[in-house]
Amino acid sequence: MLKGAEIVLRCIRAEGVDLVFGYPGGAIMPLYDALDGSGVRHVLTRHEQGAVFAAEGYARVTGKVGVAMATSGPGATNLVTGIADAKMDSVPLVCITGQVRTAMIGTDAFQETDVFGVTLSLTKWSRLVRTIDEIPDAIAEGFYWARSGRPGPVVIDIPTDILKAKKEFSGPLKFKPHARPADAKAESTFSDAIVALLQRATRPVALVGAGAKLSGAIPELRRLLDDLNVPTFATVHGLGAVPPQSPYYLGMVGMHGTRAANTALHETDLLMVFGARLDDRVTGDPTRFAPNAKIVHFEIDPAQLDRVRTCDLPVIGNLADTIPAFHAEARKASLPDWSGWRAVACGAERAELDPRGLAQPTIRFLDELFSRLPQDNVIIADVGQHQMWAAQRYRSSSPRGFITSGGLGAMGFALPAAVGVQLAKPDTCVLCVSGDGGFQMNIQELATVHRLGLPIKMVIVDNKYLGMVRQWQQLFYERNYAETDLSDNPDFVEIAKAYKIRGWRLNEAAMVEFPVSAETGDLIDNFLSSPGPELLVFDCAPEANVYPMVPAGAALSEMVFEDAE
Amino acid sequence: MQVFHIRYRNAQGTLMRILNAVSRRGLDLTTVHAEGAGQDYAVTMLLEVNPKQIGQLYREWYAIVDVIEVRSRAVLHEQEVPAWGAHPPASESVSDRATQAALA
Repeated sequence: MLKGAEIVLRCIRAEGVDLVFGYPGGAIMPLYDALDGSGVRHVLTRHEQGAVFAAEGYARVTGKVGVAMATSGPGATNLVTGIADAKMDSVPLVCITGQVRTAMIGTDAFQETDVFGVTLSLTKWSRLVRTIDEIPDAIAEGFYWARSGRPGPVVIDIPTDILKAKKEFSGPLKFKPHARPADAKAESTFSDAIVALLQRATRPVALVGAGAKLSGAIPELRRLLDDLNVPTFATVHGLGAVPPQSPYYLGMVGMHGTRAANTALHETDLLMVFGARLDDRVTGDPTRFAPNAKIVHFEIDPAQLDRVRTCDLPVIGNLADTIPAFHAEARKASLPDWSGWRAVACGAERAELDPRGLAQPTIRFLDELFSRLPQDNVIIADVGQHQMWAAQRYRSSSPRGFITSGGLGAMGFALPAAVGVQLAKPDTCVLCVSGDGGFQMNIQELATVHRLGLPIKMVIVDNKYLGMVRQWQQLFYERNYAETDLSDNPDFVEIAKAYKIRGWRLNEAAMVEFPVSAETGDLIDNFLSSPGPELLVFDCAPEANVYPMVPAGAALSEMVFEDAE
Repeated sequence: MQVFHIRYRNAQGTLMRILNAVSRRGLDLTTVHAEGAGQDYAVTMLLEVNPKQIGQLYREWYAIVDVIEVRSRAVLHEQEVPAWGAHPPASESVSDRATQAALA
């Protein structure tokens, strides 16, 4: 006879889980009681949001399912932001929540929340477990849906009496999905159709999103792009999918994308999208997005098609299947010579950033920092100006090397996510870049970093403002800096010290000199090479802005540059 | 007006997920009827939607793991709402239509 809690742990072990993140509480205590000897390591964060972001970090860097645990009521509701984040960014995540006793459900009992209902629109699948017999099936089905197709979040809510109940356990189950008569599959003729479109195209381009890495199709995609040799750019989650040194690669596209990428996207007559949602941060004004282009959209999730702009040719299916099928046809076909278009799109006159932008101290700092990272590194960016600067300057060809909360834009993501990344990759240099606002949203996870001795290198780009909001206030609200002033920030170095983490400070004045002084270089090198956790505060000008920028509602061709201020 | 028929497995929350796809778009649910349909369940809804929303709803419903089939057709009057199974509208292949349009 096993307790329900023991069955849960055996079932998740059978799913390959050996690490979970969580925070204990009343209703989930039986599960915590069963952890010892289960083979599942539990990492205690200092807030449930920290746990779910850490699980996301683990999942994003490994491609495996991340698992977070929390108790009922506030424990469960504190997971909600992470669940929404996982939905937006296609992260395989299973959240196991304790629930009040079965008999108390619906009575507004202490710490009772309808977490099933609260998360219904945010999850890919969820289950309120009603009997101990349901546990193996719920775990098997939950993990199946979390990792299958377009990955996403799952919630399994288990009342405390079911975790305590006992039954004979015959072993974990494997879930087999029901067949659907109209299951979405790539049409067998799509390759011919795309080739026909390519043969007519004079200015084709490729846009790469997260789907390429999620489907494990990076090698296939790179081979295809090398053969097509058309101007190519990436979304923030597609960074690293295409080696930046590729002669046809134009960098990031969208609101803070490069001039070359946004211009090519505006001018193209054939846009091939590989695993991207085409959200508003990528398209700008959807009515003026790629206005002259036919759109071919490779996508695993049919729900993502036509959201903001109707595509002309949907190719629904796993990119690992559809890209090779298309590539095989493309190889056989006679395709036009696009060298003239490529020369224009990739030409020097469309430099990635204007020279004034490159002279910006924070950009210089990030360039300096990134260039001194060891080869094996992962960068986790929080949300805000620093995130966009980091994305613009990211130069790695590691598909899972740049991690950020892209779709939801959840401030406070980076530090706990870095915990998950570092635990998944103990020998990798993990660099966590935050702003002063976002860092304070989950600053308590410094305790987790210290307890585990994780050698995370934490950088706070401190402009003493909620910088991105302030930038919008400056540009679009007549400099009315309403409630974005953080000039009374605490001394982050002292805070780090209180958590027994060494702190460093660097002023942007050190970046005026180019190349940087030996002293500054040594400081950065020492910060990065230290064996333990380190925090570096980069003090920068309060009113620096991220450019280029496509104002909300504008077309990609209407980028604003620094000169326009 | 458009009538939608969605066949689904009656797993926890599936009907709510189907309805969520409507409510998140601020659409009024004029008529909703859910019932058993053989081994499965079916919900019939009458909605005032534009062509783009029809496509979005189709795809969002299909993304729900326990939805089996989605069908729809235009109706002129509420009284025309058919019962599930009595007048199943023919479904079109979105891909075929799109391919033809793309190559036109």
